[in-house]
Amino acid sequence: MKKFFVTLLALALALSLTAVAVAETVTLKVWGSQEDQAMLQEMVEAFKAANPDKTYDITFGVVGEPDAKTRYLEDPAAAADVFAFPNDQLYDLLAADALYEVTRNKDAIVAANSAGAIEAASAHGQLYAYPMTADNGYFLYYDKSVISEEQVQTLDGILAAAQAAGKKFFMDLSNGWYIASFFLGAGGKLGLDENGAQTADFNNERGVLAGEAIKALAAHEAFLTGDDAILTGGMGDTIAAGVSGTWNADAIKEKLGENYAATKLPTFTLGDEQAQMGSFAGFKLVGVNTMTAFPEDAMAVAEWLTNEENQVKRFELRAMGPSNVNAAASEAVQANIALAALAAQSQFAVSQKDVLGGYWTPAEAFGATMEAKDYTKDVKTLLDEMVAAITAK
Amino acid sequence: MSGANTVSARSGKGFFSELAAIFRGGDAATRLTFLVMGLGSLVRRQFVKGGLFLLSQVLFIWYFFGFAWQYLSKFTTLGTEGMRREWSEARQIFVRTPGDNSMLILLFSVFSLMLLLGFVFLWRASLRAAYRAQLDARAGRKPATFQEDLRRLLNERFHLSLLSLPTLMAFAFTILPTIFMILIAFTNFDANHQPPGNLFTWVGLTNFTDVFWKDPLKAGTFGRVLGWTMIWAVIATFTNYLFGMVLAIMINQKKVRLKSMWRTIFVITIAIPQFVSLMLMSQLLHDQGALNMLLKQWGFVSSSVPFLTDATAARITILVVNLWVGIPYSMLITSGILMNIPKDLYESASIDGASPVRMFFSITLPYMMFVTTPYLITAFVGNINNFNVIYLLTRGGPLVTDYYQAGKTDLLVTWLYKLTVDRQNYSLASTIGIFVFVVSAGLSLLVYNMSGSARKEEEFQ
Repeated sequence: MKKFFVTLLALALALSLTAVAVAETVTLKVWGSQEDQAMLQEMVEAFKAANPDKTYDITFGVVGEPDAKTRYLEDPAAAADVFAFPNDQLYDLLAADALYEVTRNKDAIVAANSAGAIEAASAHGQLYAYPMTADNGYFLYYDKSVISEEQVQTLDGILAAAQAAGKKFFMDLSNGWYIASFFLGAGGKLGLDENGAQTADFNNERGVLAGEAIKALAAHEAFLTGDDAILTGGMGDTIAAGVSGTWNADAIKEKLGENYAATKLPTFTLGDEQAQMGSFAGFKLVGVNTMTAFPEDAMAVAEWLTNEENQVKRFELRAMGPSNVNAAASEAVQANIALAALAAQSQFAVSQKDVLGGYWTPAEAFGATMEAKDYTKDVKTLLDEMVAAITAK
Repeated sequence: MSGANTVSARSGKGFFSELAAIFRGGDAATRLTFLVMGLGSLVRRQFVKGGLFLLSQVLFIWYFFGFAWQYLSKFTTLGTEGMRREWSEARQIFVRTPGDNSMLILLFSVFSLMLLLGFVFLWRASLRAAYRAQLDARAGRKPATFQEDLRRLLNERFHLSLLSLPTLMAFAFTILPTIFMILIAFTNFDANHQPPGNLFTWVGLTNFTDVFWKDPLKAGTFGRVLGWTMIWAVIATFTNYLFGMVLAIMINQKKVRLKSMWRTIFVITIAIPQFVSLMLMSQLLHDQGALNMLLKQWGFVSSSVPFLTDATAARITILVVNLWVGIPYSMLITSGILMNIPKDLYESASIDGASPVRMFFSITLPYMMFVTTPYLITAFVGNINNFNVIYLLTRGGPLVTDYYQAGKTDLLVTWLYKLTVDRQNYSLASTIGIFVFVVSAGLSLLVYNMSGSARKEEEFQ
């Protein structure tokens, strides 16, 4: 019996000792995409080196930005303390009270990043995340040897030039993100009502004209749809121009070589006028989980991952456009063709913040119907159905 | 009173009448056992047994009021206040303090209620033990010692020892989650009600009325997805079965040589994991996939064949690809049975001048149906929930604008998956899940009971 108590005592002592040890170590988990893992590790090592007075145990999880919301909501308590996400997930995350308000060092963060990025990370007048990149948008890549600078101004010009050369114009119309450029260009709005529910007016008169333009594009002989692999695989060979974002810049540059060019999206024929195609301006943000045990440290890591130095590093290693004003003004960024095209498009872009999760599937459905050339219902009916599905609670 | 009939308290009576009988027949100690578990046993000097009963009561009360009550008391509302936030000037952050969490309230409530149920049975066991000990003492027998009780668990009550662990496991890992999931169908647990930020609560039958008729978008989607699910399940099951059987019969023909080689060749497709062949098929049949490229290059078609992007074509493609992954299995099963059909049946039939077709319909098919009906039912239910084939080939597409978050080839189960994973609409998904369960269980029971396999079980052989 005595032996038993001694063992018990020893055990209790050991437990209390480890408890003390745990309290001294800051345990954090950071989520990032597969491609960013090595870079993240490097940044975090630098963070540890810059804060030698604390012991950190920082682990990494592979969760890409697009999946952040889904994976977070599966189990908030088990989710990362610090995670990156695209800003269109902001409202859904806030609905679950997932994000700590950015309150420490707020003024410095607001001053360091572009106004658009701060707006994209804010809701109800409160900053909720640390802007990381300002490149989550799309624009036009094209082959200079096929399409002239004049032709690239209009969608009709691009299609004509591509067809003349026996090549294609690529755009993933069966994707809510890209297809929105027509509706946004026609002046359509995605918004939120007073209850925070999605509103959309893509089925109004101009929306229907935009729908007809999509229908005409999808039916055009020189039109090609598909995923990124189709674009990067065919660029220069069978594809003369394509709509995509900065993440494909390197692959396309390699394929086109001398003929590599990028610019804002063209105008398209809306009824009997030319309308500039719009786009979504997306930002990638870093958020701090409200369930974290170490809020201050998690915030420090989030701030570190998004500071000027690391945004420059992100640009250098992964060609991601910085949201930091100084980093974006650097010569290297300015000389980047893709980022310059994105900047040119950004004046026609709208924030993606007010787009809730219910938007994507119905919008994709409309695009898929047009791509399949299924004309059993007219465009107006399809758009009415699409808007009904988007705004369904 | 009830002197000799020790057994009567144990069997043939309802739960309450048994307790009433124990109360009527019990002495003071037995009656007090209603309040203090194990007391009756302790009085008859069954210290270990009585002590264990008492300990379990103390532990249960401690658990129930120390832990479970904080959740159970909120079971009716599923929580009223989410995570609280408060500005901390010193830390310069909005400090969060945990509030209610609807999901945890629901989970621990269900768990505690089941534990309570188990405790009631334990309580009854303690009463039985007390009463038995009382009767033993009155009859002048020595009440069973703990060792004797343990020995009985290894002998005449061995079934209890054997089954207790599996039962416990089934409760913990099957029944508890099932009840939890079923209850979610009666809440509004969706993207806008995500605990701990936004709590969810009971909404009664709203989800059921919505999905069955009230909400035109959801009800319309549900009806059409259900329709396709049924068409798919019927066609997929029977085409696989018939083609597998035809293949088996062909290989089984007398004139065919190298039978085992042919069988092996067809079975080899099983060697590739199903999901791998499905994903390869999806790549192959894609609008820009290898097959379309080839067809275009050879000049058979000018534009891509919409194998997976046109509603009708996609449905046919899925059925055909499903044959590819399914036939080897049905061929294996049927060829085993085919070889078991008595040869003399065929011989006498051919003497009577029956054609091969007649023999197939009069001998082979009835025999096969008799043996394989249970297999067909499993295959049918499996196809209702055939996630892999649909999701890996088309992801439920092509999407259409008048469906709610679903496409033309979505089954109920893939729709359910999208609703949970993409839209976090757990309550709606749970409602659909319940419906799928009712349909598959109901159909299986009905068909099985009508089938020859069940009705004429003894006639077989």
